[in-house]
Amino acid sequence: MNPETEKTLTFFGKMTANLTHEVKNVLAIIQESAGLMEDITAICPLAEEKYQEKFNHSMATIKQQLHRGIDLTTQFNRFAHTPDRSSAELDLVDTVGQFCLLTGRFARLKHISLTAGDPDPANEKIRLTTNPVQFYMALFFSLESCLSALTSNTEIRVIPQKRGGQSPAIEFACTGEQIPPAGEFFQQLQAAEAWGELGDVIDPLAGKVECDTNDLRFWLIF
Amino acid sequence: MGSDKEKDKIKILLVDDEQEFVNTLSERIQMREIGANVALNGEQALEFVDNEVPDVMVLDLRMPGIDGIEVLRRVKKQYPDVQVIILTGHGSEKDEEEARRLGAFDYLQKPVEVDTLVTRIRKAYKQQVESSFMAGTFAEAGEFDTAKKYMDKDKDKKKK
Repeated sequence: MNPETEKTLTFFGKMTANLTHEVKNVLAIIQESAGLMEDITAICPLAEEKYQEKFNHSMATIKQQLHRGIDLTTQFNRFAHTPDRSSAELDLVDTVGQFCLLTGRFARLKHISLTAGDPDPANEKIRLTTNPVQFYMALFFSLESCLSALTSNTEIRVIPQKRGGQSPAIEFACTGEQIPPAGEFFQQLQAAEAWGELGDVIDPLAGKVECDTNDLRFWLIF
Repeated sequence: MGSDKEKDKIKILLVDDEQEFVNTLSERIQMREIGANVALNGEQALEFVDNEVPDVMVLDLRMPGIDGIEVLRRVKKQYPDVQVIILTGHGSEKDEEEARRLGAFDYLQKPVEVDTLVTRIRKAYKQQVESSFMAGTFAEAGEFDTAKKYMDKDKDKKKK
């Protein structure tokens, strides 16, 4: 990555980290104010039971949406800090979970489900020291390639693992009733612009892409 | 929820420049029988601590003027027994490493469930009391070397 690109990324990282910090403060105020209302009604319930029920229902909705907002901003704040370091040790289970949460909407827009798959319990800790920004880009281009090769009502699972028991790897596995035949899938995948960009970004990371052409899955191996 | 005795015992100081947030959090903590005071910036926090040393300080990092890291550094230097819990909306790993290196007891992401925060406050207080009690007991018995060991052990725990 050239110094100008790094400067630009650092600038965007700082701006977005600052913005998410502000949003978290807003969410924190809403959470505490809603919590205080809840604390008060726990001590002193509303006179009419039907209103108490409505109040509780609204409060539950507020809390549910708050948790959603908090989760997204927390993960986005962490993501915004990725340009802070040109090399860092990543926990791949955490990173994949974060990636799927932040990019799930891209898949949802095409009615495709994106999930972080459970790693093999024998490989609980899968760590990789790498350039975090370029690693995220590799995940993103893999996802974009899959989205261009799949139709609706399919599923993409992103699974952190140790390939051959040794090398940290990320598996992209596509399933679902409406998946295309494997040959067609890989043809579309390799025709996608993002697939070419994946190749460009994975080389400097000393990684490689390995495909299982019988089973609609491929691995990023590091 | 805690007892009335606990309200008298634990003294906490909440430091955050988001006035609406910190005042509401203070009310909720007080409803859980823990006495909470509020400072709205680093300067106010240091002034407060000089007048009335709290047991536990809940400290934001990003504040105008003296920031949270500097407050932590000064408080741990002058009053090493004060347990400091960082509560911040900033997710930088560098900040967490620095805060823990300076002796922060815990590092939490804002917003946090009030009951989670109260649990951590009680845990921080318990650790402070236990260390002081053990060190005091041995010191009273004239076993100063053992008392010192407890104090050093506590310092090591905080460093970790």
